[in-house]
Parts: sequence; C-alpha cells; structure tokens
Amino acid sequence: MKNFKILAVLFITIIGLMSFTSMVESTKYKCMIQMTNYTGEGAYIVISLINPEGEYEETLHVKGEDDEWYNTVEEWWDFYGKKRNDIDAITGATIRGGERSISVIEIADDKLDKGYKLRFETAVEDQEYYTSDVEVELTYANVKGKYDGKGFIRYVRLMPQ
Amino acid sequence: MTISIWRYSHFALAVSSAIFILLATVTGIVLAFEPISNQLKPYAITNTDDIKLSKVITVLQDEYDEIVSVEVDNNNFVKASVFTFDGDSETFYLDPNTGKKLGELEKKAPIFEFATNLHRSLFLKSTGRFLVGLFSFLLLLIAITGIQLIIKRQGGLRKFFSKVVKENFEQYYHVVLGRWFLIPIVIITLTGVYLSLEKFDMLPASKMEHTEIVDQQSKEKLELSQFKIFNDIHLDELVTLDFPFSEDEEDYFILQTTSGEFYINQYTGNVLSEAKKPLVSQLSYWSLILHTGQGTIVWAVVLLLACFAILFFMYSGFAMSFKRLAKGSKVKNKFTKDTAEYIILIGSETGHTNKFAHQFYNALVEAGNTVYFSTLNQYDSYKEAKHIIIFTSTYGEGEAPRTAKSFEKLLPTIQQANSIKYSVVGFGSLMYPDFCKYAIEVDEWLHNHPNFEQNLPVFKINNQSFQAFKNWVIQWNEVTKQDLKVILTKPLVNRKKLKNFKVISNSGLNIDDTFLIELRPEKKLKFQSGDIMSFYPEDDNIERQYSVAKVDDSILLSVKKHEFGKCSTLLSQLSIGDTIEGKVNRNLDFHFPSYAKEVVMIANGTGIAPFLGMLNETNKDIKTHLFWGGRTKASFQLYASHIENATQKGYLDNFNVAYSQEQETKVYVQDSIKANETLISSALKNDGVIMICGSIAMQNRVLEVLNSVTTTTLNEPLSTFENNEQILMDCY
Repeated sequence: MKNFKILAVLFITIIGLMSFTSMVESTKYKCMIQMTNYTGEGAYIVISLINPEGEYEETLHVKGEDDEWYNTVEEWWDFYGKKRNDIDAITGATIRGGERSISVIEIADDKLDKGYKLRFETAVEDQEYYTSDVEVELTYANVKGKYDGKGFIRYVRLMPQ
Repeated sequence: MTISIWRYSHFALAVSSAIFILLATVTGIVLAFEPISNQLKPYAITNTDDIKLSKVITVLQDEYDEIVSVEVDNNNFVKASVFTFDGDSETFYLDPNTGKKLGELEKKAPIFEFATNLHRSLFLKSTGRFLVGLFSFLLLLIAITGIQLIIKRQGGLRKFFSKVVKENFEQYYHVVLGRWFLIPIVIITLTGVYLSLEKFDMLPASKMEHTEIVDQQSKEKLELSQFKIFNDIHLDELVTLDFPFSEDEEDYFILQTTSGEFYINQYTGNVLSEAKKPLVSQLSYWSLILHTGQGTIVWAVVLLLACFAILFFMYSGFAMSFKRLAKGSKVKNKFTKDTAEYIILIGSETGHTNKFAHQFYNALVEAGNTVYFSTLNQYDSYKEAKHIIIFTSTYGEGEAPRTAKSFEKLLPTIQQANSIKYSVVGFGSLMYPDFCKYAIEVDEWLHNHPNFEQNLPVFKINNQSFQAFKNWVIQWNEVTKQDLKVILTKPLVNRKKLKNFKVISNSGLNIDDTFLIELRPEKKLKFQSGDIMSFYPEDDNIERQYSVAKVDDSILLSVKKHEFGKCSTLLSQLSIGDTIEGKVNRNLDFHFPSYAKEVVMIANGTGIAPFLGMLNETNKDIKTHLFWGGRTKASFQLYASHIENATQKGYLDNFNVAYSQEQETKVYVQDSIKANETLISSALKNDGVIMICGSIAMQNRVLEVLNSVTTTTLNEPLSTFENNEQILMDCY
C-alpha cells in the first residue's frame, strides 16, 4: 500500500513536469548584424525576446564573451544579472565597427503575431549604450526583412532558416 | 657627459616604471604560454599554403546544408560556421582536408583571460590602457638607452658582440643577456605602444576603400569550386569568407584575405569590388602577431624568454645600483680645499674606486695629516696643497669615468699657488685592451703642467687587487717617508652559505714553501677543474681564492705558503681528517674546452693547479700541451706524478718546463713559448685554445709574447683570438 502511494506521487510529479516542458514548435532564424563604421572596441550586443508587457522574456543571443562588461548592457543586465542563466551556447564574439556577423536565433513559433518584440541592445566599452538599437515587432511578415539600427548597428537582416 | 646621461636615464626610467613593468612582465610570462598551448592543440593546420579555398568549400558543401562562414584565425585554426542537414547551426574547428569537425570552439582559459586584462589595462579600463601604453613606451626607452650603453661599453657598434668583460655576476649577465634580448624587447615594446595608440584612435584612419569593378567577364553561373578567385586563394592568405546571406543575387560573398577585401558575385564568381588593406591595418596585424606570438611556438618562446630576461634585468640592474649607491657613501671632509696639504681626487664610474680612496684618506687622517677628498670633476685651486693623489678608473676605450668627465677641461684653466707633487693610481682590468689608459693620460697631463711634479709613477691596479694597492702604499711610504697603514674593514661573510670540506691529503711544504692539499666536500657538490675555491679565515673574513683541480672527485689545490699569509698558513697546517669551511664558485670562463682540437696550457708556480685536473678531462684526440714555469727542478717534484700519469695515458702530448733558478740565464715560461712560436701559431690557426693560469706578471709577459707571435706569423693582433674566446685566463 505504501509503495503504491509513493508510485502514485511519483507518477503525478512526472506528468506534472512533462506538462511544463513545452511541446511548442520553434523555428531557427538567420540573423545578420552589420555594424556602422564606428571606431573603438568590439560591441557587446544582446538579442532579447520582449513580451507584450515590454518585459524581458528570454535572452536569444549574446555577442561578447567577457562577462566583466555585461553590466554595460544596462537594462538587460537588470533582467539577466540576477539569475545568470547559462548562456554559453548562445554566446559569440564581439564585432567591431564595419564588421558584420551572422548568427542563428531560435524563437518559439507561438510567440509570433502575439505582440512580442525582438530587441537588439548594444554597448561599447567607454562609449554609448543603446537600449533598443534595433527593435522589431515579431510577426510572420517581419521575420524576413532588413531593419536599420539607431546606434552601433547599421542594419539587421532576418531570415527563417 | 654622454655616458652619464644615458646611464642616468636608463636608471631613472627603470626606477620610475619598475612596478608597472614588473606587473606587465609577470603577466606577459603567463600570456606567452597561450600561443604555445594553442599550437599544441590538434586544431592548428600546418600546410595552409597547400590548401585551396575552393577545396575547403567543396568538402564543406558535401558535409553540410549551408555554410555561413569560414575563417582562419591567427593560430592557424580553421573555423567554420554551418547549418547541418538537421537544421542545427554549428561553429567548430575544422579539418580543411576532410571537412570534418575537429572540436568545439574553445573559450580562452580563465587564467589567460585574467592575465590579458591585467596585462593590457590593469583592470582600470581606459586609464589602465593608457598607463600600460605609457610604460611600454618607457620600457622602449630603457631598451634603447641600454643598447646605447652596451655600444659605449663594448667600444663601438662593431664590437657589440665581442667578449664582455666579467666584473661580477650581475654586470656580466646584464650585458650578455642585454645583447641578445634588447632586440626582442624593442619589438615587444614598439608593438605594445602601437597597439595602445590604435586603441586610442591615435593612428591615421584605416578604412578600406572599395573600388567597384564594372567590367564583368562572364555572365554564366558557375559552381563555387569553379570560381577563379577561390582557386587562387590558399588558406594561408584567408582571413574570413562570409557566404551570401540569402540567395538573392544582390547578396554576395565577402572575402577577406591578408592583403584586402573582395565582394564576389555568388553566381558568377566575378569580383564586384575590391579594397586593399591599408598600411595601418597591416601594421596592426603584425603588431598583434609580434606582440602576442600567436600562431608560432618559436616566437612565443622568444617572447617568454624576453620576459624572463626583463625580470633578470630588473633584479641585476637594481642589485648593481644598490651596490653602487652603497659604495658611493660620502667622505666627510674635516678640512677645506684651501687648508689641506693632501688632496685626494677620484674618478670613478661605478664607485669601486671609492673604497680604496677612502682607505687611503683614513690612513692619512689617522697619521695626523690635513686631507681633502673630492672628485676629479670638482678639481679646483688648492692653496696649501703639497700632494695631490688621484685614484681613477677608465671607462670604455680610455675615456674618463663618470666623476672625471670635466677634469681635462678644468686642468689648464686653474693655476695652483704652489708646486704640487702628484701620484696617479689607475684602477682597471687587464681584460680590457685599454688597461688604465685614462690614468696614464691624467699622469701625462699633470706631467706637462708647470704646477705639478711627479711623486710616484702611475700605478695600475688590476681587478681591485687589495694586495696591489698595499704594494702601492709601500711605495708611497718609501718616497714620502711616511708609515701609512691601510686596512680593509672586515667584510661580512654569510657563513651559513659555506660548506665543510674534509682534508684527504696534504703533501707538506716543498723547497718553495708550496704544497698540494686535497679536499673532499662533505656534501655532494658539483664542480669542475678551473672553478674557484674560496676560504674566509675568521680573523679577517677576507676572501682567498684558489683555482681548483678536480682529481678523483676531490678538490686538489696548489698553495704557496706566504710568511704572513693567514690563509695559506692555516691550510698548510691542516692534516688528514681536519675540516675547513669554504665554497666553490663556478668559473665558466676557465673550464676545459673539450670542443677544441688543440689546447695549450700555460702556467707558472701554483697556477698549474687547474691544469692538473684538466689533464684528466682531455683525451687522446685533443692535442694537449703544457708549459710550466718554476724555480728549480725540486719545485717540479710536487707535480711530477700527475704529469707522468697523464703522459703515460697519452693525454699530455707535450710538456715544456722552464726553470728560472736552475742555470746561469734565467728561463721563464714566456721564453719557452717564444721558442715554440710555430706550435702556438698553428694551434691558434686550428681554432685551438690557449689557457693561462698563474701570476698577473707572468700573464702580462706571456700575452706580450703571444701578441708578437700572432702579429708576426698570423697577421692578426692577439685581441682577435681573445674575442674569439681562444684565450682563456685565470690569473691573480
């Protein structure tokens, strides 16, 4: 009897856990960032998913491997700095003025056309910080396109893989 | 004046930047291991110049769905960013021959991350970067002043690599290592400064100017492997190749090579536009490579050694400076220049000379004289002076030392009230060709000056021999009818560093009061014939040195007992089983040259000792000659068994002995050398080595003879062979 109870608890727990692991499909997007011809150090760039309330939901990609400088990406740091999830898998090298880089980001399909946004946040050592260098409404129409930046980014191009 | 300015700046720069340079050097040592460890990883591709870019593209196309970019980094690692057929994106190190993944990208190890930060910005961000750039520049100046000092010391640029005279450990290796490492250090600092300037946008803009190429050769679509440019470029030229973002024709390949950047049509392979890399960015690239050693183990090791050399320079430089400052302690004059009868003037570069001048000053004052002590630079009129005594060293090729630079100009401008007697004592080293040349010049100037009259001829002291100095004082006492006594203050000896040696045999005194004593170290000790054994008798702590012969793993010394010699008397009284404290210093300049085909050993008296040991180190293939000068046949008996033994084994080819007291005409060792002219000249011609051990007087005579032999038979002065390290000397 006792054993049965334990089994039942275990069973319910497993079912419960499984229901949280989303079964939602996701798509990979190619994302090219082309920098302006600024001079100075490589830029720290964070690509985040912003929910309809305007809050950070998920970090999609980080350019910059030296976490000493992460706090210069101020707003994102408020979100990320507290929890410090493991972002090794989605981290790449910084890119400098005039350079470009192609990275891959993965976005759950159910986030599209729901008022979510894609935010590109940039900061350069001892220079300016742009909270939303590029910000794109996440819609089916927008995931293929080219978006001009306001700061260190000249433009961003997106394309579903 | 020039030398002093160089020396002063060298020192001042070093002092002012020491801590920063130390920090940069230590982190530099750590960082030198980064390229080394990278090159030891299996990702480095060696034959990049053999692999065409088109081949890499072909193998990648076979293996993966889509290629984003291919990159070759400074470590010669080939990196590819691709999409797999499963739709995953991957970036990894690649084997360009097979397209296979070699490994995941590796993050910089935390230790290197930390060291890099400390090295380039001291964790102070921009301020730190500026400081590091500045101190890199200061180190560059230190290196340049250092090169200038070596040129001065060696007597000209052409003699830069000639033999360095060994005064002490710090000085010798400061100069010797300096010659080899100043060039890498100049490169490190210059590139460091360049990289800093780049960080602060101080360099001219380095933007690439693209020029469009309008004339298109063909319109037909080609396979990537057919693109001409991909077949022209090999991996060693490749920096990055970015594949077109999409399949639109407007998207093109961006190819960066070591020399420029190209936009390439993704269907036709035509170059749409190209840009040459400007000089500034080429220089930046080379600065980075040269500064970090990326991609090459050899240069990284050179950088590593250079860092260690900087640490050594800091140690030895400060050690020398402290010694110099300690020696330069000022004498407090009790009398003014116009009341003193005795004027002592010194000319010194490093402060060694002061020690002797102080002794003499003290002795004169002790005897109740009025004495005034000053430097040659402060030469002035002296109203009451009767004697002027000049102690001076020589710098470089007979130039004035630091504290005597202006004496030559001052001398004719100052008139003395009385006629003054002068004595000049020169300090120097016989190893320099211009031994005491400046002292001789000072003596001449005074001789030609109407106010001065010679009291004693110029007296030269080699290697700061206290004995020689005493001899001069004896001469002084005779001429001036004085009885001055100079005493060396009892030096401190760290007895903990001394080792115990057990007496194994003692031959007892022979007819010349000479004896052989055999010692065995109580603890294991590495030594070789030609090394120096030092004793420090407790009542005066003065160091006594003897040349070591290694015979059957024990130390054999040949000692002459002097009537008042404390150490030699002590040694002569030791019997088997007694122990004595001492130490053995390595003497690398006087080890048996086992690389030579022919060796000529020249000695007089007890100077034969190291050779007795070396006769065990030679072999039948090395032609070995021994010239020895002694007083009588009986003097030789002490060494006879050693010589006979070596002759029997066939190790000693030729033993030549000269006795000075055995016949009417005195024959000295230099005479037997003169008689064997052809032997000497053929030995030198065959790259043989001549070793001389014994008294300085003998050495001087022998060197004169050798010089006349080489100039007449080989048309070269002896110094040529000396610089070639074919003449080794250990004389006292």
